[in-house]
Amino acid sequence: MPALDTISRGLMLDSLREYAKRKIPFDLIRELDQKNEFPADILEEMYNHDILGIHLLLIPREHGGLGGSTVDIYRVCEALARIDLGIATSVFATFLGTDPLRVGGTEEQKSRWMRRIAQDNLLVAYGATEADAGSDLVNLRTRAEHVITDGKLSGYKITGNKQWISNGGVADLYTILALTPGGPSWFLVEKDAPGFSTDKHEDKHGIRLSNTAGLSLDEVVVPADRIIGGVEGQGLVQAQAVFGYTRLMVASFGLGCGCEAVETAIRYSQQRIQAGGPLSKKQGYTHKLIVPHMVKLEAARAFIHETALRLDGEEHGLQTEGAIGKYYATEAGNAAAEDSIQALGGYGYTRDFPVEKIKRDVKIACIYEGTSEIMEMTIYRGRWQEHLKSRGQFYIGMAAEMDALHSRQPDCGADSAALGLRALSVVLEECRAQRLTRHQHVTFKLGEIIAGAEVAAAFCRAAAAKEYNEGVRFDREAALAMSRVCARQTAFDTASQGMKLVLGAGTGNAEELSRAAGFAAIMDKTRGITDDMDLIAAKINETFRPK
Amino acid sequence: MIEISASCIGCGKCLSACPFGALSMDGKLAKINEKCTLCGACVQACPVAAITITRKDEAADLSAYKDIWVFAELSDSPGGKTVRPATHELLSCGRRLADELGQKLCAVLMGHNVSALADTLASFGADKVYLAEHEALSEYSTDACSTVMVALISKYKPNAVLYPSTYIGRDLAPRVASELYVGLTADCTGLSIKDGNLLQTRPAFGGNIMADILSPSTRPQMATVRPNVMKKNEPKPGAKAQVIRESVALDKNAARVKTVERCVDQTHGTGSIAGAGIIVSGGRGMKNKRGFEMLSELAEELGGAVGSSRAAVDMGLMPKSHQVGQSGTTVSPKLYLACGISGAVQHIVGMSSSEVIIAINKDPSAPIFNVCKYGFVGDAAQIAPKLAEAARKLKKGKSCRPA
Amino acid sequence: MNITVCLKQVPDSTQVKVDPQTGTLIRAGVPSILNPYDHFALETALALKEKTGAQVTAITMGPPQAKSVLRLALALGADRAVLLCDRAFAGSDTWATSYALAKAVKKLGKTDVILCGMMAIDGDTAQTGPGIAQQLRLPQITFCESVSVTGRKLAARKLIDGGHEIAEANLPVLCTMVMPHGYAPAQPSFLKIAQSQEKPLESWTAADIGADENLTGLKGSPTRVDRVYAPPQRKRGEVFQGTSAELTEKLLAILEKENFISHD
Repeated sequence: MPALDTISRGLMLDSLREYAKRKIPFDLIRELDQKNEFPADILEEMYNHDILGIHLLLIPREHGGLGGSTVDIYRVCEALARIDLGIATSVFATFLGTDPLRVGGTEEQKSRWMRRIAQDNLLVAYGATEADAGSDLVNLRTRAEHVITDGKLSGYKITGNKQWISNGGVADLYTILALTPGGPSWFLVEKDAPGFSTDKHEDKHGIRLSNTAGLSLDEVVVPADRIIGGVEGQGLVQAQAVFGYTRLMVASFGLGCGCEAVETAIRYSQQRIQAGGPLSKKQGYTHKLIVPHMVKLEAARAFIHETALRLDGEEHGLQTEGAIGKYYATEAGNAAAEDSIQALGGYGYTRDFPVEKIKRDVKIACIYEGTSEIMEMTIYRGRWQEHLKSRGQFYIGMAAEMDALHSRQPDCGADSAALGLRALSVVLEECRAQRLTRHQHVTFKLGEIIAGAEVAAAFCRAAAAKEYNEGVRFDREAALAMSRVCARQTAFDTASQGMKLVLGAGTGNAEELSRAAGFAAIMDKTRGITDDMDLIAAKINETFRPK
Repeated sequence: MIEISASCIGCGKCLSACPFGALSMDGKLAKINEKCTLCGACVQACPVAAITITRKDEAADLSAYKDIWVFAELSDSPGGKTVRPATHELLSCGRRLADELGQKLCAVLMGHNVSALADTLASFGADKVYLAEHEALSEYSTDACSTVMVALISKYKPNAVLYPSTYIGRDLAPRVASELYVGLTADCTGLSIKDGNLLQTRPAFGGNIMADILSPSTRPQMATVRPNVMKKNEPKPGAKAQVIRESVALDKNAARVKTVERCVDQTHGTGSIAGAGIIVSGGRGMKNKRGFEMLSELAEELGGAVGSSRAAVDMGLMPKSHQVGQSGTTVSPKLYLACGISGAVQHIVGMSSSEVIIAINKDPSAPIFNVCKYGFVGDAAQIAPKLAEAARKLKKGKSCRPA
Repeated sequence: MNITVCLKQVPDSTQVKVDPQTGTLIRAGVPSILNPYDHFALETALALKEKTGAQVTAITMGPPQAKSVLRLALALGADRAVLLCDRAFAGSDTWATSYALAKAVKKLGKTDVILCGMMAIDGDTAQTGPGIAQQLRLPQITFCESVSVTGRKLAARKLIDGGHEIAEANLPVLCTMVMPHGYAPAQPSFLKIAQSQEKPLESWTAADIGADENLTGLKGSPTRVDRVYAPPQRKRGEVFQGTSAELTEKLLAILEKENFISHD
């Protein structure tokens, strides 16, 4: 099986969308959402090799899968999220569930289990979360005790409870995180293992098509070859190794949901005539409820794509980048969905229209796979190290790159992005000098600010590029305008939030700090932002039309 | 220009294929004489491709090509073959063009025992009728008709040739245009003269865009013309045209495509939408068969036919023969009553030349309201039966009025 | 038996817009698809392949991105695909397109059946299929709903004005296909898509097919586009709102006024 090329990816997305158009119409989704029902037959068809075989994308070629690249998988995740985040979560859970195997399994384990998942279309679940161990897995309580037979370790006896497991009640195979004497480890447990049971499907606010259930392991005995990697204590390392990927996938969920919501709002606004004209031509409406969200989502797209390419290249890990992408895109998606309800007014508030469901669904993206707050902390930790290691030059360097980009492409907003990054560097220095990072609030806020600044820079790079990535539907003029708006807005946010943080938690002179952060220059560059937003609104109306 | 190369094997197949007796055997090789019309039948028949016709190099004097020709498409009627109404429209249009150019309007009539139809063609303005009669032409056949058409065109050099954009017209015209290497424009909704050239106007991209096409350097300029769009003149009974009879020696067994069976829809005739003066048309908004029954009742009261949007046909509520739109039939009734039809571009192009368009739709933002003379924001399923009832009462009432 | 299917990649014309000021097409955000009529022709060819074991070759004339419709064809079951790609083909009208495709079919060697979609949803001309048939001097059966092959004979159910007919011809023959209503184009599974990467897909230039450069592209096209523009906008008429009863009354009055209610 060859490595998938771009054309294959396009064809797969087409097949997925056509399948959804025919078999998963909105009326059906709305009904299942109401009933809180997992669409087992749809998932079965999607896994069926002759219909889609979507899970094959997640399994390496050498084990009978198609070995999708990071770009392949994120694009499919985005497309799935546009269809229904619950279904997307179910497919994603299989990916997540096989991660410990992928990064930590022995060759024999990988070969045996991946092959089975590929051929037998197994649904997999990732069993990590517990009642007292969510963001903090150190509080893990599920225990795996040694089973000794004839003086040798023959297996493990696992006891404990898991909570809120996606595919919990429907999976065929589970990867369970349990505490062995040697530390947290992953185990492969099959659904019919004696002592293993699942709880009822949770009644959730959103992603109601995703089966979420608790797991109960009552002295479940598994043979010794079921510990992933064959060595105890590797569990957390194995989990963290793939965070770059998994966070990027959830980022794509935020992107897909957000775009679906905004596009619904756009189409509605073109048809809704009030006060003599369509809402799509009213600035008060578009510049609040449509344009800012489209800008953020496209920025998220640029960052996701760039990071995906890096992961498909020679780079590994990129957990901090993954966190930035996940945080930014899911928050952007959530905000977009919220305002899309507003944009549809009374219609948005009814179940007839998809936006209230998207809002309910996308909220989970800010919670699972690491809450937004954990992401803020992770981003801060990762970048704080860089700031210290480089003696404050990390963001100065990034700013210089933006300046160089600006001279090549003066209309992509890179000058503002540079100013924002310089301001960030000043803020980080102040935090270091005044030891402000002893306040947890400061560290989390820094995470937020850092994410914004880095995404804006990535957007500038993408808008200036000769060719745009396949997910971009706008022309060059529109993309550059969006990038400009994002860069200016972000620079303003970086500087103002950063200064507020420093002054709020520490000491210092506001005017001096403002000068050091280059705030006046940043403000100066916001000139023209309204015209750009007008242009973006016009381009949006050109690109999207009522169905 | 036509040439027989040295690869000729002297099999004589070209001789029997030629409708004009333009080939003979000169010893072991075939030879062409002055009767040749460049119809291409021999090229087709030659098993070793020894015959070639080159058309592009003819540095033609375009002004030598004169007259507007119309392919007279025929249809079946109880009394035999009759001229299809679309042909009347083409003649009316062609008359306009011919007058503007100061040239003649000619019709091409092919068939078997059809010479009497020349008068009909004359009544719609034809000055000349080129008549080719043969048993092989009794029904349309791509091979036979294109051979004759190419021959006539090569011989008489018309300025332009118009065909109706029907299944037959769209089968014949591209075949002829390809053989002659001339420009052909499909499905025209407008024809005019620009700088001495035929300006051909037609929709593309499903009706989303209009294009004006020219064939500036080839003659004849050919076009297929959408039926039910061009205005039809009043016929002048008693008008006579000059009939030029072209004898063709076709082989009725030589046609390579044979018709084994022909089925004409029962709905053709009464209830057919193509010529209806009033059409009551339904779309997705009529929801089910009952909805269309209501429209049928209304149509009956108004004396009209029932039409359908593509959505309703796809839903299985109406047969395709009633579909109005880009991929259905174009209609131009006096009244088009659109019930529960949203008015997508693909539908509008099929009925936009209706005289009066009235729309009933629940959705005030439906695009159909942008093209109708009168719009009613309401439920067609409620209004249609009420209207049928009211119309019924009105007629009853009138018939009871004192004389 | 060898079947050749002619495909075209087109913008989804249901989503195309025209800038009313400039009269040009706005293509931003409009996805490219396999012309639906060609998609049906391809499925027809693949169904014939299933019955007769024929080899199916898909060809298309287009820019490099047209490769994706060929890959789609391979993923659905075609055995071989050829892209005709050359700057010389740019600006071709239907004659020049038929010429190039006919040349390509000749180069493919023995072809028994050629299937084309009835028309492309961008040009809407329905001329290219018959043009190819003429250039190859093959019999043509146009507007076919279905075809079947028995031995060296092809039978087609085709549309005629007012109904349909069954026509027959000996191979080789070219047929143009119309879509059945409610047609939903088949989509390949992910596995088939991946496997299509390994099926033969070649790219041919004008020189490869021995095309006379004077007969291709803009130079070889007898028709010229003089201009394109947005269709005329009809003026919005009067729109009435009210209860069904009120609207019925109003509508009746209008029908009387416009003389549509037939009097005895």
